[in-house]
Amino acid sequence: MTPMAIEANGVRKRFGDVAALDGVHLAVPAGSVYALLGPNGAGKTTLIRALVGLVRTDGGELHVLGQRMPQREVLGRIGYMTQAAALYPDLTAEENARFFARVHGGGDVEWALRFVDLWERRRSVTATLSGGMRTRLSLACTLVHRPSLLLLDEPTVGVDPQLRAQLWDGLREMAADGVTILVSSHVMDEAERADRLGLIRGGRLLAEGTVPELLARAGVDRLEDAFLALTEADR
Amino acid sequence: MNLRRTLAITVRLLAQFRHDHRTLAILFVTPLIVFGLFALLFRTDATEPRVGVVSEGGIGEAISESLGDSDRIELVELGAASEADALLREGELDAYLLLPAAPSDGVLPIEIVLEGTDQQVRGIVPAALQESVAGGMRAGGPPGVPELEVEVRSLFGDEDLDTLDLFGGPFIGLIVFFLVYVVTSVSFLRERSQGTLERLMASPLRRAEVVVGYMLGFLVVAVVQAVEVLAFGLLVLDLYNVGSVLLVFAIEALLALAAVNLGIFLSTFARTEFQAVQFIPLVIVPQILLSGLIVPVESEPEWLQVVSNALPLTYAVEALREVMLRGADLATTSVQVDLAVLVGFCIVVILAAAMTLRREVA
Repeated sequence: MTPMAIEANGVRKRFGDVAALDGVHLAVPAGSVYALLGPNGAGKTTLIRALVGLVRTDGGELHVLGQRMPQREVLGRIGYMTQAAALYPDLTAEENARFFARVHGGGDVEWALRFVDLWERRRSVTATLSGGMRTRLSLACTLVHRPSLLLLDEPTVGVDPQLRAQLWDGLREMAADGVTILVSSHVMDEAERADRLGLIRGGRLLAEGTVPELLARAGVDRLEDAFLALTEADR
Repeated sequence: MNLRRTLAITVRLLAQFRHDHRTLAILFVTPLIVFGLFALLFRTDATEPRVGVVSEGGIGEAISESLGDSDRIELVELGAASEADALLREGELDAYLLLPAAPSDGVLPIEIVLEGTDQQVRGIVPAALQESVAGGMRAGGPPGVPELEVEVRSLFGDEDLDTLDLFGGPFIGLIVFFLVYVVTSVSFLRERSQGTLERLMASPLRRAEVVVGYMLGFLVVAVVQAVEVLAFGLLVLDLYNVGSVLLVFAIEALLALAAVNLGIFLSTFARTEFQAVQFIPLVIVPQILLSGLIVPVESEPEWLQVVSNALPLTYAVEALREVMLRGADLATTSVQVDLAVLVGFCIVVILAAAMTLRREVA
């Protein structure tokens, strides 16, 4: 049986009256690409933040890479990419990548910048990069320490389709090398590239499985229709 | 100009204030605090300097008695100049006067010896003397008003000390503290607003590592700044300094460290750069007013002295005056206390910063 890179059991988190996570159960096999699909405010970001200890959960259990979270030591083996490109605007691309490598105890700056096709722009000051380039740089800073688990919160927003395809090929390669990747998205065609999908809404995981499994369960041909049908069934 | 569109801006602005209680508080509470402090400092009765008098009788005695009635100074009658000198050195007196019994050749030579580092005393004592001499000689002097020959000496500093010499040293401390505080708190806040803090918190970094890393980085900048400002003060402005330049620098550097740590600590409470900037008047203005820079701490109302004694700048101002004007060194108890308090402040604040910096974003 494949070991699980992420296991969430009944994780709950409330912000005031709003249940951001309402008993989430999730299991992501090691070395797979898993897409969390859901509308804005579904709880995707909260779940990812909870996985790295940025959100203190109200209940339930979280295990990441075999460790009960929150656990600081595990964080060195996780690459976390925030939704907005979180970078130091007055440093160059290379300086940003080098900093995040050091913070995680070392990494491969050249490999990471080449991965996102920014090696030629490594000496550019980050503030002068375009939005899409900054997103790519942010991804490079997430990969630079060669983590065994990637948590990517809407990583391809603002990236053009050609490069998006290229990045996904790269991520698939990393998965083939044994890296587990959890991606959140609200873009369907992107989610289709994942091994498994989780449909999340209102802080709950509504359905989960491979793309064919979800299509079969909903009895439709398109993932978008499946998402609508499955969320409708839940109402 | 379209009134509707214009008013749309106005109404939106006021609506924003309604949601921003912190800004409202700053706008309406800070002026009262600052203005209130001004009133407390400048409307309390001026300090009465303790002035010793050594009179040899005759006219001197008459002047002395008249001085005793003055409400501008607190008079202490003493037997000998040596006794007065000792008390002045111990800080028991702010000044003393030597009054002869009779004029010689129609001239009455009076000597004023000042402690020398208090600008107010420098003005009050000669003025009180002038007032009393007029009265004193009418009462007990021989007919014919003698000419006064007043010689003013200072125990510390020389007679040419100007206002800049008296305020300059502590002012260096204030400049360093103010700028370092502002830059630190805003930069640390930027770490939060640009999202990089969230990234750091999701890395294996410990909170203490973040805070101490910041502290060291800004300390480098602050130390360079302290060297620059000090060199400008001493070499270009020719500030009076009889103490060790190295010790003066050490005090400045320690104060800068206090400012760095305070900046980091307070910015853990702010959510945006704007809010961090709003802390500035609350952190800086009371320190300017209460640190003893402008008005001596001893002349504040007692409860306010308690506040003064809780502020780091107060200790730096005192230490800088002690060293630069009075030539105190590390063997001087008051300097030791000042330095110890500054070090303690730095440690407490940085510990507090490490503890208040939250890993969780929510």
